[in-house]
Amino acid sequence: MELFMAESISLPLINDNGYYEIRLESIGGLGANLCGKMIGELGLQCLGLNSASFSSYGSEKTGTPVKAFIRYCEPKKEIRVHSPVVSPHLLCIFHEALLSDESVLKGCTRDTVIVLHTSDAPCHAADRLRRLTARTGIGALYTLPAQELAIKTHSRINVVMLGAIAKASGFIPLSAAEEICAGTLGKKYPDALAANLAGLRAGYEAASPVPMPPLQDSFGNSTASDTVQAGGAAASNPVEPVVPKAADTIRPYSPAAADAALPGSSESADRAQSASSNAASMPAGGINPHFGNSVINDVSPSRQGYIPVFLQDKCINCGLCDSTCPDMVFQFKEGTYRGKEMMINCGLDYYHCKGCLRCVAVCPTHALVKGLEAEHPNKEWFLPNQELLRSPDYYEKTGADGYITSESYLTEKRMEGGEV
Amino acid sequence: MISKEQITVYASGNEMAAEAARQIGYDVMGYYPITPSTQIAENLDLMRAKGQTDMIMIAAEGEHSAAGICYGASVGGGRVFNATSANGLMYALEQLPVQSGTRYPMVMNVACRTISGPLSIKGDHSDLMFMLNAGWIIFFAHSAQEVYDFNLMALKLAEQVRLPAAVAFDGFFTSHQKRRCKRFADDACVRGYIGIRREPYPFFDLEHPVTVGSYMNEPDLIQNRYELHLAMSDAEHALPALFSEYAALSGRTYEPVEGYHTEDADTILVLLGSSFDTALEAVDRLRVQGKKAGVLTLHLLRPFPADALIKACRTAKHLLVADRQDSYGAGGGNLSLEVRAALQRAGMTLSVKSRVYGLGGKDFFVEDALNLFAAADDPAAPDFDYYGIEITGPSACQTQSGVSVHSDSIQTQGETSAHSDGIQAQRGTSAHSDGCGSEFFAPLTAERTGLGITQVSEQDGKAFVQGGQLNATIKIPKRIAPGHGACPGCGIPVNLNLLLRAIEDPVVLLFQTGCGMIVTTPYPKTSFKVPYLHNLFQNGAATLSGLAEMCYRKQQKGELPPGEIVFIMVSGDGGLDIGMGSAIGTALRGHRLLLFEYDNGGYMNTGYQLSYSTPMGARSATSHVGKTQYGKSFFHKDMPQLMAATGMPYVATAAESDPADFIRKAAKAAWYAKTQGTAYLKALSACPLNWNDKPESERDVIAAAVNCCFFPLYEVEHGNTTLNYDPAAKNKKIPVLDFLSMMGRTKHLAREEYSAVVNGLQQEVDRRFLRLKERSENPYL
Repeated sequence: MELFMAESISLPLINDNGYYEIRLESIGGLGANLCGKMIGELGLQCLGLNSASFSSYGSEKTGTPVKAFIRYCEPKKEIRVHSPVVSPHLLCIFHEALLSDESVLKGCTRDTVIVLHTSDAPCHAADRLRRLTARTGIGALYTLPAQELAIKTHSRINVVMLGAIAKASGFIPLSAAEEICAGTLGKKYPDALAANLAGLRAGYEAASPVPMPPLQDSFGNSTASDTVQAGGAAASNPVEPVVPKAADTIRPYSPAAADAALPGSSESADRAQSASSNAASMPAGGINPHFGNSVINDVSPSRQGYIPVFLQDKCINCGLCDSTCPDMVFQFKEGTYRGKEMMINCGLDYYHCKGCLRCVAVCPTHALVKGLEAEHPNKEWFLPNQELLRSPDYYEKTGADGYITSESYLTEKRMEGGEV
Repeated sequence: MISKEQITVYASGNEMAAEAARQIGYDVMGYYPITPSTQIAENLDLMRAKGQTDMIMIAAEGEHSAAGICYGASVGGGRVFNATSANGLMYALEQLPVQSGTRYPMVMNVACRTISGPLSIKGDHSDLMFMLNAGWIIFFAHSAQEVYDFNLMALKLAEQVRLPAAVAFDGFFTSHQKRRCKRFADDACVRGYIGIRREPYPFFDLEHPVTVGSYMNEPDLIQNRYELHLAMSDAEHALPALFSEYAALSGRTYEPVEGYHTEDADTILVLLGSSFDTALEAVDRLRVQGKKAGVLTLHLLRPFPADALIKACRTAKHLLVADRQDSYGAGGGNLSLEVRAALQRAGMTLSVKSRVYGLGGKDFFVEDALNLFAAADDPAAPDFDYYGIEITGPSACQTQSGVSVHSDSIQTQGETSAHSDGIQAQRGTSAHSDGCGSEFFAPLTAERTGLGITQVSEQDGKAFVQGGQLNATIKIPKRIAPGHGACPGCGIPVNLNLLLRAIEDPVVLLFQTGCGMIVTTPYPKTSFKVPYLHNLFQNGAATLSGLAEMCYRKQQKGELPPGEIVFIMVSGDGGLDIGMGSAIGTALRGHRLLLFEYDNGGYMNTGYQLSYSTPMGARSATSHVGKTQYGKSFFHKDMPQLMAATGMPYVATAAESDPADFIRKAAKAAWYAKTQGTAYLKALSACPLNWNDKPESERDVIAAAVNCCFFPLYEVEHGNTTLNYDPAAKNKKIPVLDFLSMMGRTKHLAREEYSAVVNGLQQEVDRRFLRLKERSENPYL
């Protein structure tokens, strides 16, 4: 894009190398990559700064954790470093669930301003962030219900976040954000511009600083509910007419075990750390003898708010769900159904469910229905993989693998009203 | 008067390369997508769709062919452009000396990336250094600005001395990071600078026909090579004028070597690419401390700027060359070796150390540069070493010291394999004794999978399947573990599970590069519970041929127990573009193995470029839709018919929308692969991300593909075709547009302006289906 230089504004803070640095934390599909590009371009085009931007390489498969980095500096200076932003002045988190990933808050200092998308009450988010950043502290916290605002304004979450970023930065005028939004999105897709600008303004207005309470008793409010949903009734007593043959061999989901192995808790992260540093060096050739160990991945961050809910009394055990599930979620066991020996659907392994809802679409009896995950904190039919010889010590939160993206295609797709 | 005005843009290295190519006005780009250089072709395709360039863009079926297309077009007198990376460069490598040895100029951009295997997509210089002996001029750009500038200068120099030229830069760091750059506002300015291409021997001058590419005996061959050497010398001598002319035009002055504070430096760091910029910060910090530090980089690798290098190092006492690749066993990467050789020729005796760093895109921070400076000055530091090694291991096995609390529970539960004695004997001191005795799953032995749920019997040399009922086959343990990284709703694991649940013998899997491979095996994790091998996608079928034959030989010799293992190659449709030759060769040789294709109609792993199986008219990153382009311009490849033409015993298509049919065909395919020869099974595979539809709709989209006859369900057994499903007979036939309208990538085709495209596709689909019908009714067709 051709650019027109404005008068340079002055940056409130810079690091030792002379840069003001921004990091966006998101998952693939929310448009953080494009948002990062717009912020980068905004610096150069509208603020008269020099700027650079890039995303974590191998960006967006849907649900992949994605980071985007932006550096600003005064216009006469060249941007010489190419490494990711380690210690951001402005940290923007597109998805509250990402807080369970330690790397998201890495490098925060007392100068760091955080913008957080949360549908929760701002004070809860503040409390949680206060705990997570107890050691480092942060400068300020801005929260907003970005998803809600995006839906309300028929825009995308990334423009809403762009508005919030402008506000939280303290030096990006709303008009500059509007200008870049019009330049990037408006030229190509004029029809969507009004909605995008409305989203941008909504984000700017809604983002407000949240007072950070002093840190309370760290045993006060458990953060367990933030990440792994505590299970309710276990699946050991399924109702008639389903009678699993070997009910005692079914290992139910155990909330206690899940709490102990809380992904993202400092305990599990430390263990992961020690596991890697104590590990023997790589087998020659990078051969991996640990067959099937991807099972320790908890892919729930890929979910976008929805889960299949299982109504077992409606299930006729046809097996179509298992045939369409890409993630081996369904736990069938030998049993009898209406007097017939067959494989019986005993539950779902939600550690491995990405929420694609393929199963809901094929289920002929509506035994699987679409549910909002937030409305099902206790997943009654949560049944971890029954082939496991032992439970993993902990499940590692991951999304889909990031690999490569073709920007031109995906950018267009998103702007034309694809998923996001 | 042509304006020399320049405008400021915010762009990445790939975007600047594409912009330079557009402004130059190349005639032809022959290419094959490979990360991280793909965006260059994608950007040019987008410009083409908008009518901003009329460059002929040819999407080859592999880099070898892409290089061939470029060679042909350059012999034909065209200005020719290419872009590649990593294994793409390796695959094209054979063609590079042909281009230089017959002296046809062209420009190829190399967004440097590490070479396989193990496979990684990220940046280092291990690909580029294989080019050093190819007879090409090689520029190296450390910024997006230089990518643009060098693209212009490279072509001018290439045409001047009649050598091909490469413009290399760091993959991702330079190719993807967006920066402030300048470019000429007026294309005419660029074209005026490059000048007119002269053809000393116009190939199409029919009155003076020429022979290009003679067979050459020894006195002539060395003469030819000598002239190539002289041309490279000419290039070296042409550089000062090249740089000064460009400086006058652009205001940007380049030298073969760029130094920073080298004029009085005691210690100099030599770095190639983006790390050079990062090291500048380190130099500034060291200078503040009063240390005489400097850093330099090379703008050219060929011709190697030895004189400029020597000049820049004249005050230095310590040099450290950081290599982003290794010439294993040589005590340094190629940059080190050449720097050492140049300094030695000049009689300089300063200390030169080498460090291999940043492989596979490992980030390079200012602190790293400071550490390298410290190593350069430290007399105790070794001459050669790797920098930045962190001990990593298969931590994900959770069984290393201090982690596992469950290790004893395993041995008791693990079942004994019937084959395990023999296999254990072969392992000798087992590589499996590396500390991970405690696995998550029991091994999938023949006993655990051979449950007799799906049975295949033989009648007159043909296979017949019994059982295989959907609910019952759930009992077959899955060969793939959950927790893989496929997108939500991805069809690949769905198809693999449908395939494997029908096969009760032990299986060995070979995956060609593609989404299926990437999402299942990111180290240190793997989703495979069975033996698995990856090879690059032009060679999977051949690799599996060798692997299978070795197993059969060991069984013959009694080193492995008899018993049947089914060898399966899994590939996407992309892998069966570039790997078509290997697959057909394997089928013609008749190895006993199964080729399984999941066809999602595009190169999804690299961000969805068109494959030959992409539907006509579909939008992709290399078939954009715009005022001068409607999407992909040719019909989807009929791979089953290509495979059937090899005379292989079994070819079939399957779709997840008919699981019973799928299971039956999978069982048959495995049986043929075990007993008779090569079998081929193709399944349509959904890609919600790039089909641009909802994951939950995919089974319906695939059913629509079957019902519109875009993806007919049939099998070819010993040359006899059986049509398994005729939608018209079931009153389910729909127009092909109904299928296309279900996907974001093709829904634009519903617009009136594209009716000719849709009609063309409909006719082709109908023609193919009618031919299948005829064949199914007549065994001799």
